[in-house]
Amino acid sequence: MSAVISTTDLCRFFGDEDETLVKAVDHVSIEIERGEFTAIVGPSGSGKTTLLHLIGGLDNPTSGSVDLSGTNIAEMTGTALSDFRRDHIGFIFQAYNLIPVFSAEENIEYIMLLQGVDPAERKHRVSEMLAQVGLEGLGDRRPNKLSGGQQQRVAIARAMVSHPEIILADEPTANLDSKTGIALLDLMKELNEKHNMTFVFSTHDEKIMRRASRLIHMMDGMIELDERK
Amino acid sequence: MQTASLAFRNLFRNTRRTVLTVMLIGFSLTALIAFDGVMRGMITLMVENITGTLTGEAQIHRADYRENLDVDLYIDNANEIEEQLQQDTSLQAYAPRVITGAMISSSYNVSAGLVYGVDAELEQGISKISDAVASGEYLSGDDSELLIGISMAELLEVGLGDRIVLTLSEVDNGELAQALFRVSGIIEFGVRELDESFAFINIASARQVLGMSEQQTHEFALNFVTPLDMENTSNALLEELNSGEIEALNWLDLNPDISLVLELSSYSSLMIGAVLFLLASLGVINSMFMSIYERIYEFGVIKAIGTRPQDIRKLILFEAFFIALISCGLGIILGVAIGAYTSTNGISFGGELEFSGIAFNNAILSEFHIIQFTQFPVYVVLLTVIAAIYPALFAARIIPSEALQRSL
Repeated sequence: MSAVISTTDLCRFFGDEDETLVKAVDHVSIEIERGEFTAIVGPSGSGKTTLLHLIGGLDNPTSGSVDLSGTNIAEMTGTALSDFRRDHIGFIFQAYNLIPVFSAEENIEYIMLLQGVDPAERKHRVSEMLAQVGLEGLGDRRPNKLSGGQQQRVAIARAMVSHPEIILADEPTANLDSKTGIALLDLMKELNEKHNMTFVFSTHDEKIMRRASRLIHMMDGMIELDERK
Repeated sequence: MQTASLAFRNLFRNTRRTVLTVMLIGFSLTALIAFDGVMRGMITLMVENITGTLTGEAQIHRADYRENLDVDLYIDNANEIEEQLQQDTSLQAYAPRVITGAMISSSYNVSAGLVYGVDAELEQGISKISDAVASGEYLSGDDSELLIGISMAELLEVGLGDRIVLTLSEVDNGELAQALFRVSGIIEFGVRELDESFAFINIASARQVLGMSEQQTHEFALNFVTPLDMENTSNALLEELNSGEIEALNWLDLNPDISLVLELSSYSSLMIGAVLFLLASLGVINSMFMSIYERIYEFGVIKAIGTRPQDIRKLILFEAFFIALISCGLGIILGVAIGAYTSTNGISFGGELEFSGIAFNNAILSEFHIIQFTQFPVYVVLLTVIAAIYPALFAARIIPSEALQRSL
């Protein structure tokens, strides 16, 4: 199998070279292969979110490299980086993922508009994704008319509709009750197996962790344990 | 297209803020339209008062006459000029005048003043002397008639029918001459200078007292079929009459001080507009920044999923553009309403007002032109969008990871 995500000596430090220096990510080198369903776990402040942001090109590393499918995104900036994220990475965040003035359909369609996908194809793919995440008939609802779980399903649909190679999810179940959270993870797992997309998500919920095929444990910005099931 | 749609919908996310911003810009536009309307009306009224009271739209004199009103500097071939004026189709009216400084005496007092000898009939096409008669009668052609300003009448303690003696210098020889007149009318222009120092007699009497022939006159006042106003100041007749010995000037050249006042007045809309829209622009910047800070997490999300910085810039500029469009709609509607009222009912000063020697006896009727409803809104849209550039640049530079760290 080939590595879709590869970080080498990745560091992200905040503050100055004195007592205020915070090593959010400290020399992290990992390789994640295509189709893996990986959870980055650890307590709050362990560096999970920062690592996800670095992998997703949302933040610039202090040093080290992030290779996604052979492209070092640490060297990319501006429009090129935006376009790379648009075409290669799908994001799911904790909450408030969606554009509130757009309907569920429009939120899913938005990324395809950025990509310049033609209208008929957009419509087809939106319907397909709504069906896959179990939201048929709710496409015209705005986010405030959807439950938290439904909103996260829309976010999953939006993340996947552009067929990215990687889906990054930062504590996607944090704002959901445990039953809804587990259901959401089961959906992500199902889509991961069906589409062979690479999922990397952060969590500190043990019930959620159990569903991951690989667990990367972080502590103080460093990888403490990397276990495959 | 999606960016425009998103921008438009975003306006309704915080309706109160959008409404306040729209009101700020819209009311500024209304204020500018109303102010410009009043200024245009005021300038028109000023021009009407300047040209209509006594001066006329243009005057013809001997060169250098105006410097010290030297009675010896009269136009010698006045009949030739008069023939030319009669044949000119661009002229609506003309009036010859003989003008001299004089000691004006009554039985009780004496005052220095300016005496105008006027053609009673022709003068009605130029000035408002006949309209200004507050008591008594306008000139009928009788040799002894004299019209006197109301303030001067009070100073000299005279009323209708009372005797007035004019003491003046004859032309060419400078000999003192005296003539007796009777007050046939008391006039009130509402302009202090005219009411205090001016007297009017028939032109034939004036020529006789001054020792002038019928071919001699000091001044021709002219009015044109197409009025000479602020925009239209040149005239072929004036250019033709201007020669070394004769000067023919329009009212703006005759009143350089007033010309400056009018020019400043015409710039006042620009200045008021600049101040209004500077303040409105600050309001727009503030409102846009509040809106951006409120949605900073959302900007983090949409940047994360691949929205380019230029698309974020476009989004904010579109929001400003739509706010400006709605504001212009409001501003224009209110501007039309205020314009309809003030152009019909006018703005009254509650009495007579004199400014720079110009009387405002009537209410100012606002004037509205298409430019106020086309050009001003275009400026508003441009300025609002320009004001939004800085917030747009700020939003485009938001770093997703930092925005996503903001509290939800």
